[in-house]
Amino acid sequence: MFQFAHPAYLWGLFAIALPILVHLFNQRRPRPLSFGAIEFVLRSQRQRARRLRLRQIVLLALRCLLIAAVALALARPSLRPRGVQAAQATGPQATALVLDASLSMRYRIGSRTLFEKARSEALAALDRLGPDEPATVGLCAGSSGFAGAGMAAPSFDRLAARRLLQSAQPTYLSSDMTGCLAAAAKALGDSPVAGKRIIAFSDLAAHSIRLDAPPPLVPPPPNAPAGAQGIRPNVVLVDAARGSELPNAAVVATAVRPSGSLGPRGYEVVATIANSGTQPVSGLQVSLKIGPNIVAKGFVDVPAHGTAKKTLAAVLPAGVVSGRVELARVEAQGLDEDDGEDFVVHVPRDVKALIVDGAPSSLRSRDEAFFVEAALAPARTGGRIHAQTLDADAAANASLEGYDVVLLLNVAAPQKAFVEKLRQAASQRGMGIFLALGDHVDPDAYNAAFGDLLPRPLHLIKTAAEPGAQGSEEHAARFGVIEWAHPLFRVFGPAEREGLESARTFRYALLKPEGQAHTLASYDDGAPALIEKRLGAGRVLLYTSSASRTWTDWPIRVSFLPVLQQAVSWLADAIEQRQPTPALVGEERTLAAPSGTRVERVLGPAGEALQLRRETAHPDDATVALPAPGQYRALVAPPGVQPREEPTLAFVATLDPRESDLRRVDEAELKAQLGGSGSARVAASAAAAEGAHGTPLWSGLLLLGALALLGEGALTRR
Amino acid sequence: MTLDPALLARLGPLQVRARKVMEGVLTGLHKSPHHGQSVEFAEHKEYAPGDEIKHIDWRAFAKLDKYYVKRFEMETNLRALLVLDASGSMAYGRGAMTKLQYASVCAGALAYLLARQGDQVGLCVAGDGGTSEGVREFLPFASSPTHVQELLRMLEGSQGKGPTLLPAALDFTAEKAGRRALVVVLSDLFDATEQSLPALKMLRSRRHDVLLLQTLDREELDFPFDDPTRFLSMEDDRQIEAQPRQIRESYLVEMRRFLESTRKELARSDVEVEQIATDAAPDRVLLKLLARREAA
Repeated sequence: MFQFAHPAYLWGLFAIALPILVHLFNQRRPRPLSFGAIEFVLRSQRQRARRLRLRQIVLLALRCLLIAAVALALARPSLRPRGVQAAQATGPQATALVLDASLSMRYRIGSRTLFEKARSEALAALDRLGPDEPATVGLCAGSSGFAGAGMAAPSFDRLAARRLLQSAQPTYLSSDMTGCLAAAAKALGDSPVAGKRIIAFSDLAAHSIRLDAPPPLVPPPPNAPAGAQGIRPNVVLVDAARGSELPNAAVVATAVRPSGSLGPRGYEVVATIANSGTQPVSGLQVSLKIGPNIVAKGFVDVPAHGTAKKTLAAVLPAGVVSGRVELARVEAQGLDEDDGEDFVVHVPRDVKALIVDGAPSSLRSRDEAFFVEAALAPARTGGRIHAQTLDADAAANASLEGYDVVLLLNVAAPQKAFVEKLRQAASQRGMGIFLALGDHVDPDAYNAAFGDLLPRPLHLIKTAAEPGAQGSEEHAARFGVIEWAHPLFRVFGPAEREGLESARTFRYALLKPEGQAHTLASYDDGAPALIEKRLGAGRVLLYTSSASRTWTDWPIRVSFLPVLQQAVSWLADAIEQRQPTPALVGEERTLAAPSGTRVERVLGPAGEALQLRRETAHPDDATVALPAPGQYRALVAPPGVQPREEPTLAFVATLDPRESDLRRVDEAELKAQLGGSGSARVAASAAAAEGAHGTPLWSGLLLLGALALLGEGALTRR
Repeated sequence: MTLDPALLARLGPLQVRARKVMEGVLTGLHKSPHHGQSVEFAEHKEYAPGDEIKHIDWRAFAKLDKYYVKRFEMETNLRALLVLDASGSMAYGRGAMTKLQYASVCAGALAYLLARQGDQVGLCVAGDGGTSEGVREFLPFASSPTHVQELLRMLEGSQGKGPTLLPAALDFTAEKAGRRALVVVLSDLFDATEQSLPALKMLRSRRHDVLLLQTLDREELDFPFDDPTRFLSMEDDRQIEAQPRQIRESYLVEMRRFLESTRKELARSDVEVEQIATDAAPDRVLLKLLARREAA
């Protein structure tokens, strides 16, 4: 909308009639002349007639433009944008400038992001404030409202406000614009200036605005009478996107799971891709990167305002693997940050196990190793555990090289040489040893043969009930105390624990009290059932009953399978970890240090060390804030030792998927939420924040007039 | 001393003006290409069988003991036909004389000059309204003073009007001229049909000596108009409104191109062209022309 400082000069526009009259005068009836060489006049006129007519029209237009530009410039016009009424009030106004610094403001249009546009407009708005108008600045980001120290009371320290705006950077967080406006209104209450105004610069994404929230209200002054109502501030929302649609495709979720069809270490990565644009996206390329390499690619069609899932599969290396799902961007504009999502997956290594069958039988179900072999069968472990079975004699002469675990099932006390081989492989190579007992086990011979290899020496074999006898199940022992947090039992949720606790054990070995060992599970009489001991680099796990049905019915129960598989992995140091759950950017993540260590450092996606916060109750653990998306790594160490990276603590932080949805809020509903069109306006440009001043246009008009004058001169000289 | 056209225009009838111009011009000599009947000795030639015995120079025989025959150059009867374009465009001229009047003066002066030295001269007035197509009036060859008076009377009575019919008049001339003759064409050559140049070339191809005096008004050459003008054709109904200042440059280019192409094209056919403006002294123009022809 135009406004004029000196509208009387607009009468000068009537002077446009002068060049028109001159033009008409020149078009008067010419005098006749009989001319001999009319042929040449005809030819010349034919060549130039059209150009001459055009030139005359251009000349007339330039002369009219010159006069109009001068008349308009003298009237001192200015451009008053839409929405300015809301920001106008009589007298000065305390002003809160709210700059949306959420992730969606990183959306790029051309060479600039929405945030850069909004920031420059906010700076211009700050410059245009009157000298008697106090101002405050806040960056709206994060669920808690304003980033940093929040919004201060309005002041006349323009330099500080300018510095804050100049140094402002967009975050990766989501924003709550409704909360920010309410907080800004509250901050305005601290200013004694009667007029209150909020100018917010945002992309007006629908997710950041709660239309059902109450409108922002400035609290009444402290000296107001009791029961006084709050003041409704003038609110100007400057749309950084200038009303344009912001189409965006983003990876909003990533799930990683083992894929049995791909064999050992085969994984499926399921990416969820969202499209917030009004047009469907077809043939969008999705790629799976492991480290720097793209290992799988695919294409996906995503409907408008919808999502689609894309599954990419790959065989991953053992260990902690970090990867990323990425979209191939075609167009230059858009939000780059949500085009990909990182993930971390713990891939257990393959295990080679040797089963030493102490009581082989031609009847498969009677064989001592039957249930163990069944539990470790490739079909049940995804091929991750390769088990080989030998009888005791064959095993005594076999080389243990290459085996990660040796399971001795009801094996009579072996020769010293074999025990020595076991000891060396365990202590030097970290091989695991699993001992299950049975009728072939003589406690004294075992103690003599294995010596300190046993977690604790065997004392005697206890029979709680005769298997198969009347009422034996009643008298049989049950698992009593189980260390559920241990990797062997971690797979059991509360609902599944009953399956383990219901196992009946009729006969088991009692252990002597000496020796340092860790009891993982015990029977209801307190006798150890599963007990482990470290042996150099390896571990020894002793199950005090049998791995067949001779002493217990546990092997035929469902709970036997996961415990045995976990036990083998645990002994081989290849336990399948629970996959780390991703965190959201802006949240905090507490990293629990492995026992005996302390979280010393946490590194962010760019390798920067993050500030740690420690709880008094768990001083070895550390809590970190997650400012950016990507992979986070932790370095741990026992006290006084150089920290090392602990791969199991690695995790990723992902973006809030709501920020990828750039659908705009309905302007009418937004104005209604802010208190109606009387006090709220949505402006298309930063000029809306200029209040009554408007954009002066007279200098541009004078320039236009000068150009018209130059053009007129050039045309008339020709 | 030269004759200013303005002064010449005030001299009264064409006879007076033409005579005045003629007096200003040196007598020209038209040399015959035929040796023989002569008044002036030219050279000796060794006698050969077939030569006239009466031309043997006996004095030379006495001195040299060889037969030599005298050869002579003689002034012969030149047959000249003046073709005057009396189309409408020739009536243009806002100065002392129109183009037609100027061309008539030149034609009259030439007629005087030719008759004075015994040459036969004829006249063809090109225009509409005559007995033959394109020929308004025709006067056959003769050299008597009464003939010249008749020719001058015809010149004075001619009026510029109607379309240019010069090509038809030149065809007529080619028929009437008979054996080789000098054909002097006085025209502006503003011919919408563009057939005048081929007709001139045709005359030359019949071994006539063709001289074109292309007569133009100074205003046609310079186009000095400023005010908006409706230009009317002098030969037909065409007319056009124009801003002379805006088209001057283009007009001059077109005019220069026309004059240049006329001169070059006729020169290629060995037709002599003299482009003259009506503000030039006619005696000077004729003098220059005759001097050039004598030198050639």
